[in-house]
This record gives sequence, structure tokens and C-alpha cells, in this order.
Amino acid sequence: MAGVLTVPAPRDRRAGRLARLLGTRIAASVVVLWAAVTAVFFLLRLMPGNTVDVLLARSQVSPQVRAQVIAAYRLDGSVGTQYLAYLGRVLTGDLGESYVLREPVATAIGQQLPDSLALLAATMVITVVASVVLAILGASRRPWVRSSFTAVESLASSVPPFWLGLLLLTVFSFTLHWFPAIGSGGLPGLVLPSIALAASAVAVVTRVLREGLLHALEEPFVVTARARGTGELAVRFRHVLRHALLPVTTILGWMAGSLIGGAVIVEIVFSRAGIGRLTLSAVQNRDMPVVTGVVLLAAVIFVVVNILVDVLNWIVDPRTRG
Amino acid sequence: MTDTELAVPRPRRTTGGTAFWIGVAFLVLLAAAVVFPALFTRIDPNAADLLSTLRPPSAAHWLGTDQNGRDIFARIVYGARPSLVIGLGATVLALAGGIVLGTAAAQLGRAGDQVISRVLDVLLSVPGLLLVFLVVAVLGIGSANATIGLALVGLPGFARVVRAEVIRVRGAHYVEAALGLGWRRFTVIVRHLVPNAVGPIFALATVGLGSMIVASSSLSFVGLGPQPPTAEWGAMLSGSRDYLVLAWWPAVFPGLAITLAVLAFTVAGQHLQRRIDRRSR
Amino acid sequence: MRVPAIACVVLALTALVSSCAPGQAGSADHGPPRPGGTLRLAIQKEPECLDPHQSPTEAAGTLARPIVDSLVSQDATGGIHPWLAIGWTISPDQLTYTFALRQGVRFSDGTPFDSAAVVANLEHVVAPATKSLLAANLIAAFSSAAAIDPLTVEVRLSRRASSLLGALATPYLGMESPRTLGGSASDLCTRIVGTGPFISDGGYAQQSGINYRRNPDYAWPPYGAGHDGPARLDGITVQVAPDNAARFGALSSGQVDAITAISPVNARVLKSTPGFVLYSKQMPGSNYSYWPNTERGPLSDPLVRKAFRSGVDWAQIVRNVYFGVYEPAHGVLSPTTPGYDASLEAGTAYDPAEAARLLDQAGWTGRDAEGYRTKNGQRLTLRHMWSDAGITDVAVQVQAAARQLGIQTVEENLDGGTYVDRILKGDYELTDTNFSAPGPEVLQVLYASANIPNPERGLNNNMARYDNPAVDADFDQAMQTTDQAARLAHYDDAQRQLTEDAAVFPLYTTVDTVAARDGVQDVEFDAGALPGFYDTWLAS
Repeated sequence: MAGVLTVPAPRDRRAGRLARLLGTRIAASVVVLWAAVTAVFFLLRLMPGNTVDVLLARSQVSPQVRAQVIAAYRLDGSVGTQYLAYLGRVLTGDLGESYVLREPVATAIGQQLPDSLALLAATMVITVVASVVLAILGASRRPWVRSSFTAVESLASSVPPFWLGLLLLTVFSFTLHWFPAIGSGGLPGLVLPSIALAASAVAVVTRVLREGLLHALEEPFVVTARARGTGELAVRFRHVLRHALLPVTTILGWMAGSLIGGAVIVEIVFSRAGIGRLTLSAVQNRDMPVVTGVVLLAAVIFVVVNILVDVLNWIVDPRTRG
Repeated sequence: MTDTELAVPRPRRTTGGTAFWIGVAFLVLLAAAVVFPALFTRIDPNAADLLSTLRPPSAAHWLGTDQNGRDIFARIVYGARPSLVIGLGATVLALAGGIVLGTAAAQLGRAGDQVISRVLDVLLSVPGLLLVFLVVAVLGIGSANATIGLALVGLPGFARVVRAEVIRVRGAHYVEAALGLGWRRFTVIVRHLVPNAVGPIFALATVGLGSMIVASSSLSFVGLGPQPPTAEWGAMLSGSRDYLVLAWWPAVFPGLAITLAVLAFTVAGQHLQRRIDRRSR
Repeated sequence: MRVPAIACVVLALTALVSSCAPGQAGSADHGPPRPGGTLRLAIQKEPECLDPHQSPTEAAGTLARPIVDSLVSQDATGGIHPWLAIGWTISPDQLTYTFALRQGVRFSDGTPFDSAAVVANLEHVVAPATKSLLAANLIAAFSSAAAIDPLTVEVRLSRRASSLLGALATPYLGMESPRTLGGSASDLCTRIVGTGPFISDGGYAQQSGINYRRNPDYAWPPYGAGHDGPARLDGITVQVAPDNAARFGALSSGQVDAITAISPVNARVLKSTPGFVLYSKQMPGSNYSYWPNTERGPLSDPLVRKAFRSGVDWAQIVRNVYFGVYEPAHGVLSPTTPGYDASLEAGTAYDPAEAARLLDQAGWTGRDAEGYRTKNGQRLTLRHMWSDAGITDVAVQVQAAARQLGIQTVEENLDGGTYVDRILKGDYELTDTNFSAPGPEVLQVLYASANIPNPERGLNNNMARYDNPAVDADFDQAMQTTDQAARLAHYDDAQRQLTEDAAVFPLYTTVDTVAARDGVQDVEFDAGALPGFYDTWLAS
């Protein structure tokens, strides 16, 4: 498909380039994640009070448990030993134990992850579908259409997601009883939170897409298609949309970060199980093993998503292939 | 939500000059409320009147009263300062840090650039609000720590733009001329590079302020921002939740205040970005 | 006419195991109880850990109670009744308790309930690895337990502790299958196995909840239960929803059948909505109170404490904030606690003039530019550390009232770690919380000098940091006797002294509530006011 615009490279050469792209991106990401782990290690040490107390979130425990923590984190050794021990634990996926929740951090996160991922997936779907539809409808040269779309987009991207969530809950759940008021089970429970979370992303993506569409509609190949008598909607879907998607792929990485952050708040508003409530209560209890565990996990997800976005870019946009 | 890195895409043709001026007018009002809240209302925002709780909007209480009988209009007006000051403070801090790191990355050569870029990558790798949560968990709950956390979120975006601008401007004739005249490198940076990079950064900061305000009100909403009884918009919303079954107004007006403030900053910032774009073309 | 919740509670006092449903006028008679159906319940607070041996929270007690039974049960007047133990004898020196166990009881995993199981449970509670926060304190005098024969168990104490039986009646010392006790502490936090009327196969999942199914073999309900045999419900599904509005929305929209801890504002709405009932019980123990730091700072002066108590209209604040759903409290103990002395209430009336006089007498006679009282140039400032953000509205009103007195309160909503740190250091003037417990023994937990929290001793519950040898003596003597009247006399004396010293500022009596749709019948509360669902059935 991309070959319409460029001479297709031989298959093995393309694969080689993709491998090289992946290689450099993964190497850079590993460096970033290693730096993040290191930063977290020193943050824990810099916190006021004993590192044991920090790790225990000041919960009251027996001397034996205290001794276990000291041994597990090599807290009786030098900084270097401690650092290596910490690095080793993180590398093997051991994020430590939460002494507030009395369970391993990995277990606690693992339990909440599916609900958060479901919310993120639903939000992504809504964002993509809604933005494509709205952008196609709004890609008009008529000034009033454009300015009203711009106005709605600006408004939608300015509404705080937690407030939108509160309003949606009040109207559609408490008053009209269309959707469940609490809980994370099932599709109906996903509708309102994912709308609240998607609203500002939809606004941003629609705008990028719409501008891209308008731009592409002026391209010669569109004129050709029109001249051939292709219908307007078909022109837009078949020919123009692909071009308009190029700038969108570049903001997908940004979106992922913004959605993960926003999901935290939305989960709290909608009483959904998930990483959000886990993290908030961990922050309130200063349960550092959980907080750092979530932060490191989010960093990994974010980095992986960005690598995928780069690959997607490479596939969609021939110009990035060098 | 808090990534200021994204330069929000702009329409190619400038429309909405009216919107810009309405936005600016609203921002002026907001600034006045931040500095002189007493100009707008005579009512004490923290005066609890036990005999008139949850009253609907009326002539006496324009936007009604909350569960403690406090005037919501007065609380929104007085709330402008705590609600905006975290976002403003975080933006200023992020800008300062971004200018220092961005200039350093552009000027310190390849190694320095690499180190600084990786540091920025680490900051960027943690999604916005989670980074703030981490900072608040380390430093403790409160406005100052929330500001620091948000500043760290905004910093990489500014640093990258500054770096790009400095590199762009460095190639300009007047800078080469100045260096040719034997000016000291540092003087050139301060006298020429930074001022020329300021325009785009200022526009970016204005747009970014919007998302900073959303983020800071989110933090207050979940109880990690200014503490009661401080009138803060996010905290007001959070306090109104339990009473939604009886009264809609405490949950609607503070949310509108946040939305309008964010909208005003976004509209003004985007307009500035378009103007700068056109000038630089 | 609707019967208000409080009237219901007063009625409940006379019942042994209280249960009451102030329904709507003319609410349909649902006929005799019928079995079947699943109760969908949404609760407010989740336990960090389900195992009641490890977790001291009400949430853990509530969620564990359907699964675990106790050796004995306690009624609302403090009387102790047989449960898994059919009888007991106490040695003359009161250091040895011998329990005769019920025959034929099995844990739901098939393990027989016998003396070895009791020994294993008590040893699990006191084992250091359990990290027990509350349960071990409940039996602090525990020395050892021994199985005499399969159905006889002997518990030895290191000192007299008349509170033992009451403690054994709580879910925190409930009986879990010995087969599970050997596992890791974190496994027990998600899944416990007991002899109770319900079984949870999947256990408790953080933030989402827990599902129970009926234990078909159950035949040993506690004294005072409404029926015999297995529970009436097929099962219970419990969801966690911390947000009050959302929980109420889930009830009113029919997403769940019942919710716990309904907020006062929602209770008010509920009362005017047909089709719902409110089950409630005032909790015994201490009231929800402000606790002064009596050890240092301005509130170490009894005059200032008395001034603060009489200068703030606590009752009016409670009525304003809680819409008449919570009753203002006037005593050191909640009125539903056995041994509560109502005659002391008179001394704590609202009297701002007296408060001003007391503050003058205490030397806080100066005024600064903002109108606050000063002494030697120091402003009269009280830092109030919140234990829970739910106190916001009360704190706002108390702050306004204190300002009238010329006292500044600084409100501090801290993270858990800092809060504990400052409690240990005694670095505060005020904090707030309640402490529910079935009997007046709670006074010792809250006011014995040995229970003042400090860095060496660790977290403890005397947050007033109250240190009075005369009151300590009362507590010791009460522990020495198993004669109920004599015990209560000692606790009465302690109440008197604590009231005279203004060692606490009572706000309101905590009410445990279950709000439900009309068809949910017979929700009961135990002596600790934890809701129970053994008798509960669904009429529709």
C-alpha cells in the first residue's frame, strides 16, 4: 500500500531496517528504564527516616519481619550492595512486599491491572472511532462548520475528566439509572468512565485528523478520484483518511501517557477497581513499595507503547524509513 | 493530561480573533480575582452559616451555598488564587528548569546533550499524574509538593522546545555575527539566544497552563492538594459529591470555573502560537 | 409516620441481639422468612487484609464474620453466651479458663473443630509473624492454651483479665481452620476458612470485593439468632465502593440490594424515598470524638480543655452536619455501651461565657491583630490532625466555633505515615476518631497510661496521652474481678474522672447502618454493632 508513493524496497532490506530501528529504540528504552529504577532507588534512600521504615510504610511489625526486610534489601550492606540487590529484585520482577496490604506488590498490581487495562482499551476504541467519525463530518470548508467544531473541541479538551465523570454519573447513573453506579464488572460499567476519559483525547485527535483531512483533500490524487466519479464519502474513507492518519500516529504516544494518568482519577470517581485507587491509597499511606512499583510498571508500559508507535509510524509513513 | 510537550495542533488559517479577546478578558478577570478577590464580593468565603446550608442560587447567594452554608460565589472568587497558583507556580518552575536544561543541552556539546536528553526521557517515561503521585508520596501531601511534582511533569516539554529553539536561533546571522565580533559565548546566549526563543515558549506555556490547572484540580479533588477549609475549585467539587442528591449547584459551578479558566488559557495560547508561526514564516 | 432511626436504636437496646427495621409506614408485610436468593451488598471501606487475626479494622470484622464463628457470643448488655463453646469454668484465681466445646462442628474445609483448633487459633493470634495489630492486644494477658481432651481446652492467663470472654466474642478472635493457619500471612489476607454460615471460595480481592455462598452444613448459630440451620440466603456478593454518592446511587438505582455506612445526607434522602429501609445500630465503645493532647501544648491545661469543651456547641454542629442521623454525644462512652453513666452528661453543656472565663483564668487574656487569644505573645493555636477526610465538614464548623472563642485551629490532613509518626511523637494538639468495642473495657485501651503511643512502645490508642494513676488503678481493679457490678463500678469512676478532666470532646455516637431496598429482611447487628446476614432473607 505504501508502495503507491515510494518504490517498494526488497523485503529483506526492509526487514533489516525495521530490526535496526527496533534495536536502537529498545536499547534507548532499556537505558531509560534502568535510569528510572536507579532514580527510584535513590529516592527511597533520600526519604526522611530509616529506609526500613520507608519500605514498611511505618506499619507496626514484629522485629522478625523487620529483619527480613533488612536482609531482603541488603540494608545492612553498603550502598553499592543495596543498589545491586534492588536492581536484581526489580529485574526478576520482584517489586517488593507491601506491608500495608500484606501482600507482594506484584500480586497487588496484577490483581488490579486487568480492570485498568479494560478501561484503557475501551477508551482507545472510543477515541479512535469517535475521532474518525467526527473528523470526517467536520472536515468542511464552510467556516461556520469549522468554527463550531473548533469551539466544541476546545471546550471538550478543557473539561476536567473528573468533573465530566461526576456529571455523567449524576445524570446517567444516579438519575436515569441507565448505567451502573459502581464497580468494574461488564461492559455497561465501562461506558461512562471511558467516555469521561476519552473526551479530551477525542477533541485533540479529531482536530489533528480534521486538519490532516482538509490538507489531504487538496492533494491531486483526490481531484483525480473525484474526477473518476467516486462518491464524496468513499473519497474520504478510501483515499484521504490514510494520509490524515499520519500526524495522528505521532501523538498516540502522548495519548497513552495522558490516558494512563487520567485513568487514575477516573477510576476513583467511578469507584472502579484498578491501579488508580491502589495508587492513591498507597500515596496516602506512603506505601512506597506500591507507589514505586506502579510508577515503574507505568514507565515500562509507556516505553513499550512508544516503541510500538514508532514501528506503526514506520509502517504507515514511508518518509520515516530513511 | 499534563504533557505540555504536545504543541496542540493549530488550524492553518487564523480565525477566532474574537475568541482570543474574550479569553484574554476572562484571564484579566481571573488575575484580578487572584490578586484582589475582595473586589468581587463582600462575603467571607469561609464564613459558615449553619442556618442556610445548601441554598439554591438566589439574589443573596448568586451561586447558592454549600453544605456548610458558605457562599459558593465567594468561594469560587477566593478560590481562584489557590486553584491557579499551583498551576502557575508549576509552569514557572518548569519553564525555569526547561530553559536551563534546554539551553545546556543545546550548548554543552554532544555528551551533555545526550545526558540531559536521557534525564528528560526518564521524566517523560512516567505518565504525568503518576509522577506527581510519586513526588507527593516522597515529599508528603500539600500544595508545595504538588507544585514541584507538576513542574517535573512540565519540564521536559519546555526543555525540548528550548533546545530546539536555541539550535535554530544559533544558526541565525546575528548570532554568528556576535560570535564573530568576539562576544563571549555566555553573553551571546543570555543576550540573544534566550530572548529570541522566548516567544514560542511563552505561547507553549500559556497552552500548557490549561492542562496544569486540570492536573492540579485533579490532585485537589483526590485530596492531595491544598487542604480544607481552603476554597479551591477541585476540593470544592470533591466536597460537593456527597450532597449531589440534594443540590447540584455546589458540584456544577466550581467545575465550570475550572473549565472556563482552562479554556481561556488554551484559546489565548493557541492564538499566540499561530501569531508566532505566521511571523516566523 | 416514619419511625426515625434513633428510636429504632433505643428499642434495639432492650433486645439481646438487636435487629430492627424502621420501615416506611404501610410497608408490606412480607410473610414468613423464605430461603434463597443472593444479597448484593456494597460496602464503604475495604480491609487491607481479610484475616481478622491480622487486621483490626471494622471492615475486616464485617467481612470475616460470615465466615468465622467465635467461642462465645456477647449481647448488647455485656452478657456472655455459649457459641462454639457450650460452657466454661473459671478457676478461683481467675487465671485459668476451661472451655467445653460443641460437638460435631466442622470447618468448611472438612477439618473438625476441636480443642487443637482452638489452641492453634489462639497461638496464631499471638504469634509475632501474624503482625496482629488488635487481636493480640485483646488477649494481652494470654499465657498459653492447652488441649485437655478433644473437646476441652484450657486457656491460661499471666494476670487476671476479666475482658477475656468479651474479647473472645469478637470476630478478631474468631476460629479459623487450623489447616489454613500454617500458610503465609498474605494468603490468609485474601482467603480464610471458618465454621461460619457462609463460605468464600474465591476469597477477598482488593478493591473489588468478596463473594460468599451458604454453608449447607451450618447448624451452630450463636445465642439469640433468629433461626436454626443454614443461612437463609444462597449467597452474598460484596462490592467495595468508597464514594458515598456512588454507593447510594448503586442502591437507589437497584444495582445492589443493600449498602453499608450510608452517609447522613443520603440517609435523610432515603427516609423520604419509598421502597427502602434503614437498619441501624448505635455502636458501643467510645463516641466519635476530638481527642486533646493532655500531655503537652495548650491543651495540657485542664482549664483550656474545659473551655474548649463548653465553648464549642458540639451538639449543634453534629445536628447541622449530620442532619439528625447521628445523635450528639455527651459522654466518655457511647450510650449503648454496658456501664454507660448518663448522669455525667449534665456537666458538659454548651456555655460560651463559662468558656471565656476559663480561658481568662488560664492566662490566655491577650488578643492579637486577628482577634485570637494570646498568652506571653503566643497565639492560642491548636493543630488538629485528621484521622480521616470524612471529618472535613465538622472540622470546618469546629474551626468557626473556635474562632469565636479566640482559638485558632489549624487543620492538617496528613498521609498515614506522617500521621502515625506525629502520634508517636505526641506532636499534635487535637486529633479525631472513634473506637468501637462491645464493653467499657475500651476505656483502658483509650486512657491507660501504659497505652500512650510513643516511639519505643509503638502505636497505641491513648491518643489523649492521658496519664492519671487513679484512673489506671480503676482499670487494674476492674480487670481483677469477674463480678459484673464491681467491674462496672470501677469503670463508672473512670468515666467520672475523665469527664471532670475533659480528657475527650465527644461529638456523636457512631451509628452502623445498612440501608437496603424494601425486600431485604432481618439484618442483625452483633454486640460490636457489626452487621450480620445469617438471618437475612429476601422477600422479593
